[in-house]
Amino acid sequence: MSACRDEDPRIHGIKTKIRVVPNFPKPGIMFQDITTLLLDPKAFKDTIDLFVERYKGKNISVVAGVEARGFIFGPPIALAIGAKFVPLRKPRKLPGQVISEEYILEYGRDCLEMHVGAVEPGERALVVDDLIATGGTLCAAMNLLECVGAEVVECACLIELPELKGRGRLKGKPLYVLVEYQ
Amino acid sequence: MATYGLLHSPQMIASITQSTMMRRASILLCSNSISPSPTASRRPLAAPFRRYSASSRAQSISSSSRNYRSALSPLRCSASDSVKPPKMASEERQEPCNRIARIASAIRVIPNFPKPGIMFQDITTLLLDTRAFRDTIDLFVERYRDKEISVVAGVEARGFIFGPPIALAIGAKFVPMRKPNKLPGEVISEEYSLEYGTDKMEMHVGAVQAGERALVIDDLIATGGTLCAAINLLERVGVHVVECACVIELPELKGRERLGDKPLFVLVNAA
Repeated sequence: MSACRDEDPRIHGIKTKIRVVPNFPKPGIMFQDITTLLLDPKAFKDTIDLFVERYKGKNISVVAGVEARGFIFGPPIALAIGAKFVPLRKPRKLPGQVISEEYILEYGRDCLEMHVGAVEPGERALVVDDLIATGGTLCAAMNLLECVGAEVVECACLIELPELKGRGRLKGKPLYVLVEYQ
Repeated sequence: MATYGLLHSPQMIASITQSTMMRRASILLCSNSISPSPTASRRPLAAPFRRYSASSRAQSISSSSRNYRSALSPLRCSASDSVKPPKMASEERQEPCNRIARIASAIRVIPNFPKPGIMFQDITTLLLDTRAFRDTIDLFVERYRDKEISVVAGVEARGFIFGPPIALAIGAKFVPMRKPNKLPGEVISEEYSLEYGTDKMEMHVGAVQAGERALVIDDLIATGGTLCAAINLLERVGVHVVECACVIELPELKGRERLGDKPLFVLVNAA
């Protein structure tokens, strides 16, 4: 999946706009900060355009975005491809009836929720987040969608941390990313 | 003085009250031009509002959508659309009201969330209606494009849903305003009051420059405390906050007054 992505001239501009903040949230972590990308309207637009070009016309009716940075990238993609946007949230944020999926963190567990009725069986869905690390969050997101009978077509992130091998944790589903951080 | 004179801002206003119990939906829409006066151009809203009585909190989206979409009847609509030419057919003149009506009907009210007595305005159902979501963004974009706004600040987390599409469409940067300890770089913080206790909002140092013109976006204004904190963060670094923009206002909570001289633009009032 990478050949055409690497050749796109917009990728370089996007990559240079991502700021790496060392030792956040804790020592040893090199945090990939996408907020600096959002400050460059052209780079932000290019980011969205790259996803939209990939997914437009593919009969995708659902873009699911993981709280909170998935809320920044998911809606513009959804709007451009004519899909609905479904927020996947931390516990007790969604007000209506929800289904939940627990997942493992480095230390402990967390939980992702989705509104009942947001997605219909048979719908084709994307999962969007800013970054994939271990893949635990994306896996939980996929499980929520599949639980209600949706088909997860692909997971889409700006950034991948390949050393953490998240790509292999997606139950065989494809992953599309713009930038890898080695 | 923000006299760059917004649109032919919608003058008024359909009036439809939301209720999941009734088969009839009513929306209150209030829109005001960008001006220094906080009391500018609000029209009285004529429709009686029937209070929603509490019922089970767990409603599925599909059933409440049916309730919302059943009977929309704006009492009066004379909204004008800033992007339409002055001469419009009467059908076209209706169109902005139809957009607002559809947006309002797509918002789901959840009683007793997050605690008893609160009627929670759930915008997630709006996001499931592709046309209504697009119309929501379009209404803001129509208002703010070509107004030299270089910053759209969105309040975590639902402001992250509406802010970026607006920013992208008007060519502005998007600045996330976040809960504490989420932003990785150097931040400035603003504490603000909650009903019980306080909370803090943060913005990255260097995200905005003195002299920039900014919007603050959130899904809803209640007491105005959160929006005030966002305004303060921006003004402390020399940014001019042109307007606050929300999908929904809860007028009883008087958030508009709390913003003082900062104008507020909303699409829907939930009485």
